[in-house]
Amino acid sequence: MYQYNEQDQSLINDRVAQYRDQTRRFLAGEIPDEEFRALRLMNGLYIQRQAPMLRIAVPYGLMNSTQVRKLADITRKYDKGYAHVTTRTNIQLNWPKLEEVPDILAELAEVQMHAIQTSGNCLRNTTTDHFAGIVPDEIEDPRPWCEIIRQWTTLHPEFAYLPRKFKIAVTGGPEDRAASQVHDIGLHLVKNDAGEVGFEVLVGGGLGRTPHIGKVIREFLPQKDLLTYLEAILRVYNLNGRRDNKYKARIKILVSALGVEEFAKLVEAEWDIIRDTETRLTDEHIDRIKGFFEPQPYAADAVDGLAVLGNQLEDDAEFRVWYERNTRDHKVAGYRAVIVSLKPHLKAPGDITDVQLDVVADLADKYNFGEIRSTHDQNLVLAHVAAGDLYNLWKSLNDNNLARPNIGTLTDMIVCPGFDFCSLANAHTLNVADQINQKFDDFDYIYDIGEIKLNMSGCINACGHHHVAHIGILGVDKKGEDFYQITLGGSSREDASLGKIIGKAIPQADVADTIETILQVYVEHRAEEERFIDTVRRIGVAPFKERVYAPVN
Amino acid sequence: MPLLINRAVATEDNWLLVDADNVEAHLNEDIVVPFELFAELTETLLASEGGLGVQINGDQDFDLVLQNLQRLSLVAVEFPAFTDGRGFSFARILRRSGFTGQIRAVGDVSQDRLEYMERCGFDAFAIADERFSESMVQAFGEVSVHYQGCADDERPIFRQQ
Repeated sequence: MYQYNEQDQSLINDRVAQYRDQTRRFLAGEIPDEEFRALRLMNGLYIQRQAPMLRIAVPYGLMNSTQVRKLADITRKYDKGYAHVTTRTNIQLNWPKLEEVPDILAELAEVQMHAIQTSGNCLRNTTTDHFAGIVPDEIEDPRPWCEIIRQWTTLHPEFAYLPRKFKIAVTGGPEDRAASQVHDIGLHLVKNDAGEVGFEVLVGGGLGRTPHIGKVIREFLPQKDLLTYLEAILRVYNLNGRRDNKYKARIKILVSALGVEEFAKLVEAEWDIIRDTETRLTDEHIDRIKGFFEPQPYAADAVDGLAVLGNQLEDDAEFRVWYERNTRDHKVAGYRAVIVSLKPHLKAPGDITDVQLDVVADLADKYNFGEIRSTHDQNLVLAHVAAGDLYNLWKSLNDNNLARPNIGTLTDMIVCPGFDFCSLANAHTLNVADQINQKFDDFDYIYDIGEIKLNMSGCINACGHHHVAHIGILGVDKKGEDFYQITLGGSSREDASLGKIIGKAIPQADVADTIETILQVYVEHRAEEERFIDTVRRIGVAPFKERVYAPVN
Repeated sequence: MPLLINRAVATEDNWLLVDADNVEAHLNEDIVVPFELFAELTETLLASEGGLGVQINGDQDFDLVLQNLQRLSLVAVEFPAFTDGRGFSFARILRRSGFTGQIRAVGDVSQDRLEYMERCGFDAFAIADERFSESMVQAFGEVSVHYQGCADDERPIFRQQ
C-alpha cells in the first residue's frame, strides 16, 4: 500500500495544527457557528443527535494492521470502545468530544491517517472495489489511480467550497463492487480497440431524494489525462452547480438540467484549455505510485494447503458453510479472500469493537501480510489468505463473533445509524435491523433465498443506499411514528438500477413480516437458480405489491 | 475596512468603489465599478483615463470581464457567503488568462479561506473589521505542502523540485 513520504506526513501534521487552531478559535468565540460548521465538516466532524461524530478517512478502503490497532486504541481512549464502517469505506466514531478531536487527529497522523474531507461540500474520499488487485478479470488495479486522485483532491484550494459534496469511485474492470454508477463521478478502467488502458467516465450519479444513475460523458480517457479531465468537470460544476437550494446542488441535477451532451460539451471545452497544463500526469509519477501496489509476496507453496483445506472442509460442516459464504476466489492459486462479517446477530450492522479491531489487526499480521480492507457493504476483507491458514483464521474470527456466515445474504444488510445517532434521520433503523435478524434467523432459509441485497436508510438522504438494493427500506416519519417505504429491484452493481416503490409505507412492526411476504412471492415465481433481483426484473413489482397490500379478511 | 495586500496590512487603498450616482464625477480616477454599472457603461469606462476595476460575483457574466481584461487593473470578486466557492474558480481563470492586476476578495472573507484564495490567484483581501486581526496573516502557508498545482505554482507535487 501507499507509504507516506516526508511531504505527505508534513501535510497531515500541518492540517492537524491548523484544525487545532480553528477549534481553539471557535471555542474562544472567534469563529461564528456557521463558519466553523463548514470547517469542521471538511474535517469529518458532525454534531449529531447525542454527541459529535468523527468520520475518519480510509482512502480507497485500505489499511494496515498498525492503523487498525491505532483505531482500536482511539476508540478506547476517546470513545466508547467501538467504531462503525461506512458505505464509503470510512470509519466513524460516534462519541468523540469536540475539544478532543485535535488530539484524536494528532494520534491518527502518527499512523498516516486523518479525517480530511470526509464530509462537507468538497471532494470526498475516493473509493474502489474491495477486491482490487485480486480479481482475475480486472483490467488494471484501480488503487494506484485512487491514490493519484487522493493526492489531487487533498486540500484542493479551488474545489473546497463546492455547491455540494462530491464523490468519486473507481473500478478496475467490468465488475462493480464500488457502486460507481451512483457516484458524482464513476471511473471505469477499460481497454480501447488499440489495446490501451484508460477510463470510461460517468458523471451525475447519486442517491438522496432524487436518485440518478451516472451517465457516460467520455467512453475513453487516456490515463495521463485523468487529472486534467477531472479538473475540467469540477470547474464546470463549481461555476454552474446550483447554490440556491441544497437539494438541487449535486452535479446530478446540473447534468440532468443541461442534458448530458451539453454538460459534456462544457467539460470538453474547458478540458481543451487545460489538458496540456502541468497537471497532466507523467509516466514517472504513475510508475512511482504503481510501485506501491505491487502484488503481495505470495508463497509458491500455498497450493500445498489445498489438500489440508479439502479435509477440513469435509470434516467440519460449520467451517464449510463459512467458507462457502464468506470467502471468495483469488487470482493467485492457493489463496482466498476472506470477508470478515460485521453483521452479527442483533448488533448494529457495520460496528466493530476495540477488541475485534485488535483481533483483526493480529490476524492480518499472521495471515494476510498485515493488510485490512473496509468494504462498501460495511464489512472488512482479508484479501490474501493461504488455503492452509483458512481453518485457523476462521476459528479465531468465530471466537470473536466475526464469522457469521451471512455475506451476500439477507442479513448482510447495509444500514445507516438512523434515528438512534443521526440528527438528520426521520426514523430508527437499528431496531428494524434487529427485527429482520430475529425473523430470519434460520440459515437454511436464508441460503435458499440466496444472493440478495437488503439496504435500509433512516431518511431520504439515503446513506443506507436503499434505492440501489434488491430490497430497499426507507424510514419515514408519520405524525411522530416510524413507517417504512419499500422499494424492489435496485442494484448498485454493474447492472445498476433504481428500485421501484411498491406502495404506501408500512408500520414498523410489520417490516419483517412484509419482507417475508415478498420473499414468498419470489420463491413462488423464481425460475431455477434465478436470483431475487432477476425475478423482480422479470415479473415486475406488481405481484409483490398485490400480495403485500392484499386486504386482510 | 482592513485590507491585506500581498500578505501585509495595507495602510491605504487607492481604489474608490463608485456607484451609479458618482461614477461620472470620478471617471478619470482609479475606480472599481460594480458589474451592473460596468455592463451598462462599458464603452465609456473603457475609454476613461483612470485605472479601472470591476467588482463581480458568481451570478454575473464573468465573460464580459474576461473580454476586457486588457483594460482592467483590478478585479474584485465578491463572496456572498462563506460557503460560496465560485470566486476561487474566477481567480484561477483570471490568472490563467494572463491577468496580472490585483484580484481582490471582498464580501465574506475571513482567516480560514485566505490560504486557498491566495493559491487560486487572489493577492488582496478586504476583511470586515469584526473579523480582522493582525495575526491573521499567519494563515498564509499554514499547510506547506501542496499536492496540486494552482495559480501560485502550476506544478503539482510530481513536477515539483
